Amino acid sequence: MIPVDDAGTMVVNRHSVADALSFHGVTKRFGSFAALSDVTVAFRRGEVHCLLGENGAGKSTLCNLAFGIHQADAGEIRLDGAPFRPSGPGDSLKAGIAMVHQHFSLVDDMSVVDNLILGQARGIAWRRAFAAKLEELTTRYGLALKPFARVGDLSIGERQCVEIVKCLIRQPRILILDEPTAVLLPDEIKGLLEVVRRVAVEGCAVILVTHKLAEIRDVADRVTVVRQGRVAAQSQTPGQDIEALVRAMIQRPLEALDPAMAMSLGISAGSEVKRRAARIGPRGPDALQIDAVTVKDATGVVRLDEVTLTIQPGEIVGIVGVEGNGQSELGAVLAGTCPPSAGRIIVGDLDLTGRPPQAFSAAGMGVVPEDRHAVGAITGMTLTENLFLDRSRVPTRFGLLRRRVMREAALTMMAQFDVRASGPDVAFGSLSGGNQQKAVLAREMTRPGLKVLLAAQPTRGLDVGAVEAVYGLIRAASERGVAILLISSELDEVLAIANRVAVLYRGRIVGECRGEPGQRERIGALMAGHSA
Amino acid sequence: MTTAMLAVFIGSSIRLAMPLLLAAVGELVSERAGVLNMSLEGMMLAGAFAGAVGSWSTGSPLLGLIIAIVAVGPVALIQAFLTVTLRANQIVSGLGLNILVLGSTTLGYRWIFGARSRETIPGFDRWSPPLLKDIPIFGDAVFTQVWLVFAVPFIILAIAAVLRFTVLGISVHAAGEDPGTLDRAGVSAVRIRYGVILFTGSMAALGGAFISIGDIHTFTEGMTNGAGYLAIAAVIFGNWTIWRSVIACLLFGTATALQFQLPAMGVHVPSAVLIMSPYVLAFLSVAGLAGRQTAPKALATPYWR
Repeated sequence: MIPVDDAGTMVVNRHSVADALSFHGVTKRFGSFAALSDVTVAFRRGEVHCLLGENGAGKSTLCNLAFGIHQADAGEIRLDGAPFRPSGPGDSLKAGIAMVHQHFSLVDDMSVVDNLILGQARGIAWRRAFAAKLEELTTRYGLALKPFARVGDLSIGERQCVEIVKCLIRQPRILILDEPTAVLLPDEIKGLLEVVRRVAVEGCAVILVTHKLAEIRDVADRVTVVRQGRVAAQSQTPGQDIEALVRAMIQRPLEALDPAMAMSLGISAGSEVKRRAARIGPRGPDALQIDAVTVKDATGVVRLDEVTLTIQPGEIVGIVGVEGNGQSELGAVLAGTCPPSAGRIIVGDLDLTGRPPQAFSAAGMGVVPEDRHAVGAITGMTLTENLFLDRSRVPTRFGLLRRRVMREAALTMMAQFDVRASGPDVAFGSLSGGNQQKAVLAREMTRPGLKVLLAAQPTRGLDVGAVEAVYGLIRAASERGVAILLISSELDEVLAIANRVAVLYRGRIVGECRGEPGQRERIGALMAGHSA
Repeated sequence: MTTAMLAVFIGSSIRLAMPLLLAAVGELVSERAGVLNMSLEGMMLAGAFAGAVGSWSTGSPLLGLIIAIVAVGPVALIQAFLTVTLRANQIVSGLGLNILVLGSTTLGYRWIFGARSRETIPGFDRWSPPLLKDIPIFGDAVFTQVWLVFAVPFIILAIAAVLRFTVLGISVHAAGEDPGTLDRAGVSAVRIRYGVILFTGSMAALGGAFISIGDIHTFTEGMTNGAGYLAIAAVIFGNWTIWRSVIACLLFGTATALQFQLPAMGVHVPSAVLIMSPYVLAFLSVAGLAGRQTAPKALATPYWR
């Protein structure tokens, strides 16, 4: 473990022959915001170098600078010791740098082979030759891909595989992977990490961005922690330094961390879970009943297939599954925005099947939608207005809005839910992601007569502090007797806070179990479609 | 309808479909790369005008054709600069260009030809390939055409082959679906889009010049008369595939030919209805297919890195 002073300087970072790529005092600003300040770090051949940090810490910016998507404002990037200033991805690719991007960088409407050819050749597209190359690579690394399948028809895991192969086919000297495992199943993650390991052994310098500590334990030769755009710590023996790395990442003692948070980060086994499970009393009347709900989309494809689920007051039920297996549809059905083709939805003792969203709200259903920008809030309106978007609660006199009363109520909500903003009248869009999410939660959880809270992907894109706050709020609601349905693609998150977990696969609930870390393997298998 | 009349009808349908075909196939390439080139109409008109002026001043229709292509270049460059570099709205900038071209060609026409309007301009001669011209009745009516007509099928085949079998074709496809991915693969989406707009300009120039020096051997104000918009409609009708777009162009050409055919056959329909028919057909085809189309995902979307 090498401590770093505030200026981010490190004695160890003189150029060494093994350094394939190095950053020297690199700064990158976006407007007035410094995404990276004075970063000095070196990546060596034959090593897997993990970048650890919270959302927004600057990891992706660092990768994008190396790949030429952005250009540094100050400092120097060196490739094999020589100054390197890529003006675009083309320059970096030519220099032997390949990158797997955080979000897929594939053309859905083209075949796997066409995606591989893109930018790789000129003149006639010799598809068969590329298919042969693909075959050779996939057998070498133990992967499986159909060369002429359309990328849009592939599963998430297969697409990630195409991304990797797209890089490997260029025989890169430096391979950058920006959170490649965020969307993958446990089994797929294992396979990917094996490939990463092998690529490094073959002499490539691998840069792996992740926030999963288990991955660091498995593959990292070296870890650099990035916090607020600066290098916060570095370790050459990451396996032994996990706790110190986490401390550097969140800048707090681990003991102060929420136990669920600690568990979803992978630092504690989660003895908390059992204590929580015991808190649920004998089964009483259900707060929410989803009875054989089926949803067909406009083209007649079944998106939800006879989903049946009941939740008691105070219970937290997690829905896990690979994205696109019906989670969005389930969320829409429960928000009242998508009437089911069959089945019933009962909140408390009211049958709400086919009723409009207002009826759901009135019956005590709070909804934190998965896309807080598009559905959860109106970014151009003020924070106060967003907290009162729900018409029935707006204070008025003679039909006119009582702004002062609204503002005072907003201030109370902001204090209660720790929404940090310079005032209640700022534009919603100017808040950070975490504060936006807390504001949406504030609005939904202060709904009078709240019985059920649907939280879809509530922590997506949030930093550790905000995630912890969201967990705290959800747990507080459940202690008040609110039934909670948590839809999340983060398996560890669900295991950490849910009492019960249901797995969605191709629109069906294929299994249910208690929310315990011991169930991780079994749930992973169910998510992948293997029956347990 | 007699066989002779049918032959004439087929011949004029093909002739009238030619400018649409050239422009539509060019537009197809643009749209596949994500650029909705509303200025197609203006490009065609500029091509018709420059072709006429070039042919009239040099006395050679072939030189006129080349001058048409060169003259449309700046129009295409303005369109590319506005929509790709400045990321302006593609439809607004295209319509603006159309108005600009209509004004400047009208002005130029009056200035250059002035009193000599209605003067015949040297144009391409009709010709018919051996063998084909010996077919009774049809040989003369269908296959006696300007050489450009015989070149068009080969041009279309070549474009189809480039789109289907080359890396450039894959890059064009990617620029229209996901320019960011193309860029991250090391191919400049900006360059591809500039390239396709210039290419569309050349094709529109050919189409426009075909009207002025290939078909009627004169220039009149606003003579393209919406052919550019019809070509855009053909691409939509063709669901962004080359062969269906070609069929749509032939259909529109046939509808236009009907204007002349029906009165000749003694069928009396108000001429306004006849002149309207290709446009109504285009409107119906686009409206009827709306929503069931699969346009390139990044169509008309400017690209930001």
